[in-house]
Amino acid sequence: MNRRTVNTWGQTLGLAAVVMTVIILMGTFNVVTMALALLVAAVVFFVLRAALDLTGRDRSDRPPAYRDVKVIALGAQIFAVAALHTFLAYLWQNFKDRTDDIGLNLSFDFLDQPGGITIADNPLSANDQVNEAIRAGFENTIRIIILGIPLALVVGTLVGIARLSSNWLLQKIATLYVEAFRNIPVLVVILIAWSVYLNALPPANEGSRKPLGGWFIFNNSRFSFPSIKGLDNWEAYRGLMLVALLIAIGVWIWRTYVFNETGTPHRRTLWSIGTFVGIGAVLFVAFGGPFEVSKPFVDESGRIYTDGLRMQMPFAAIFTGLVVYTATHISEIVRGSILAVHKGQDEAANALALSGIQRYRFVILPQALRIAFPPLINQFLNFTKNSSLAIAIGFAEVTAVINNLFGQSQPAPQLILILMLSYLVLSLILSVIGNLINRRLQLVGR
Amino acid sequence: MRKHWLLRLTAVLLGLTLIATACGDDGDTVELTQDGGVLAKVVDAGTLECGGNDTLPGFGIVDADSGAFSGFDIDFCRVVAAAVLGDADAINVTPLVAAQRFPTLQSGEIDVLIRNTTWTASRDGNEQATFLHTTFYDGQGFMARADGGIATLDDVADASICVLQGTTTLLNLNAVMGDLGIPFTAVEFESNDELNPAFQAGQCEVWTSDASQLASFAANMDIDTVILPEIISKEPLGPVVADGDTEWAQVVNWATMATVQAWEFGITSDNLDTFTDSEDSGIRRFLGLPIEDDDGNEAVAEVGLGLPTDFAWNIIEQVGNYEEIFNRNLGPIGLTLDGSPNDLWTNGGLQYVPPFR
Repeated sequence: MNRRTVNTWGQTLGLAAVVMTVIILMGTFNVVTMALALLVAAVVFFVLRAALDLTGRDRSDRPPAYRDVKVIALGAQIFAVAALHTFLAYLWQNFKDRTDDIGLNLSFDFLDQPGGITIADNPLSANDQVNEAIRAGFENTIRIIILGIPLALVVGTLVGIARLSSNWLLQKIATLYVEAFRNIPVLVVILIAWSVYLNALPPANEGSRKPLGGWFIFNNSRFSFPSIKGLDNWEAYRGLMLVALLIAIGVWIWRTYVFNETGTPHRRTLWSIGTFVGIGAVLFVAFGGPFEVSKPFVDESGRIYTDGLRMQMPFAAIFTGLVVYTATHISEIVRGSILAVHKGQDEAANALALSGIQRYRFVILPQALRIAFPPLINQFLNFTKNSSLAIAIGFAEVTAVINNLFGQSQPAPQLILILMLSYLVLSLILSVIGNLINRRLQLVGR
Repeated sequence: MRKHWLLRLTAVLLGLTLIATACGDDGDTVELTQDGGVLAKVVDAGTLECGGNDTLPGFGIVDADSGAFSGFDIDFCRVVAAAVLGDADAINVTPLVAAQRFPTLQSGEIDVLIRNTTWTASRDGNEQATFLHTTFYDGQGFMARADGGIATLDDVADASICVLQGTTTLLNLNAVMGDLGIPFTAVEFESNDELNPAFQAGQCEVWTSDASQLASFAANMDIDTVILPEIISKEPLGPVVADGDTEWAQVVNWATMATVQAWEFGITSDNLDTFTDSEDSGIRRFLGLPIEDDDGNEAVAEVGLGLPTDFAWNIIEQVGNYEEIFNRNLGPIGLTLDGSPNDLWTNGGLQYVPPFR
């Protein structure tokens, strides 16, 4: 064992012992025990060092321990850990004292109690447990995010490009939109969307708007859309369509391969969609019509809905508000990133006689995306967190559900902890996905 | 070198702060238990911190011009302040939404919660709250548009019902409709500011809340509404204080009950002065007027609640008795005392308070 190894091992062991001692002694945390702990830690540390010195190392060339830089540095680290621990322990103790004072129950047993709440258009019953209610709310939050973020990204990108357009009208409209909505608090944008839907659309019991021959139904409680409704053989058909999807992907890869080898235009999108639709059509006939497009229906009272897809009006409002608001921020990021791509790229693409769309599609956007992605992740996170504002307009996402629960005498501290964890988990998942994509996008240095 | 110095200075300061925090440990713990209790705290501060409503006409509402709070519940905040501090205006009202009520009370930010809050077993048990004398006996009702074809609860099947989040109203709604097997869609709002326009625009056909609240909103609405005959719950509303301070609970309780006692005695803010010569020893004791014994010695009765002896006098002089408070605030929204559960027990109502002896 060489000198260096002994030294490193000694320090590690010493540090571990010291930190353990400090933490154990800190159970009572005040200045006296803290000083005592440091003293004990120092003794333990020096004893350990001495013990290691007995392994036969020559230490005559080292300064005494109190002047040894390594010892001082380690001591400072230990002090920092102890101080931080004391501070956190103080906060925790304060919290415990206060909750004991007022007799607050801090257990999580309430999660099995009946929740007593229901959620619009959700099978949740009032007798279902608290944890099921929270889960239902969480699912509603995820619904907003999954539908909203991609749409905000598309709208934002288009508006960002429009702001750089040479078409005067388009550019001005885009600028007006961005400057108007970017500078309004998001809650207000959501309330605007909500009151527009609330007042511009008729109440359900006074007849709904039914545009496009009744395929869409709008009133100020719910929006209904056509959907696909499975009939006989639907399960088998859906299974085979998954296979068709795989085949379509295979075609995509094949066309890409052909293009790389021979240079013939690949037209892979056209090819794969064609394959998928073609197989789908043949199977549709072969199975004798396994599905139909279902037309939504609402009875005269405006209360009974059948068929089609339904969306509650508050959901539509929070969704519209968040997309309109977030898209303005995304468009600014996109615009900035496009401007950050060197103009020589655009000129070179122009020189190759690429059309305007081709210049964006193949040259500018791929490079701009690389710059835009990290700030875009921030916007996705903001979108997620802003979804909690649905509480104001009566959409039961997780914040509203939890707010409701602690109005029903369920304990607030635990519920708020669960609420924080919900958003933390969502945000971290989004960040991880974002960071993975970002890593793929970055230029690989050679 | 300079940067080094700054860093070191910061580190030293940080260390000192930490040590100071650690030293403060014992002192803070003592402070948290509040030796003197809430009564001492309120007297010390000179203001009563009161949790109230700011969006419910008649009970608790903010005046759009002056920003001042008024209403039935707010008047009971003033009653407590008049009793404890001798000044009904020494209140600071914190407007709270339903779900904020109990956490705010638990944290000690407010001394008393008077915000149309229903007394229930689970709130007594789980919220560390002590409910006091019921100031208003309410019940949950339903309101629909007059032209909507809804006349009874059975007509409500499959309709959307607007309700506030975090209220017993919602709990009752789910329980009762579940038992009756009437399906419905709950649209849950955080505040009446959004619920009210949603109801008026027809997003929901029915609004359920305490009957008094429905009356209060209907009185301020442009559309014609109908209140359904069914009352599905008991909703006793009254002041709430945090558990663990019996002295303070008694103070708030007796201050509140003094308004009913004054009503029973027939003492109002207008005729209060005529009672200084009253021969009735019960009234003299109640108002803190000196009582003469057979030997001609005068003494003021001391009830030992920690309140000034003239607390009832102050309450009646500055705020009025229960009947005055009720009529002043709830008369304009169409509620009357006659025949309601809130009438005095001698008239067949439920307002009955223990004797002031």
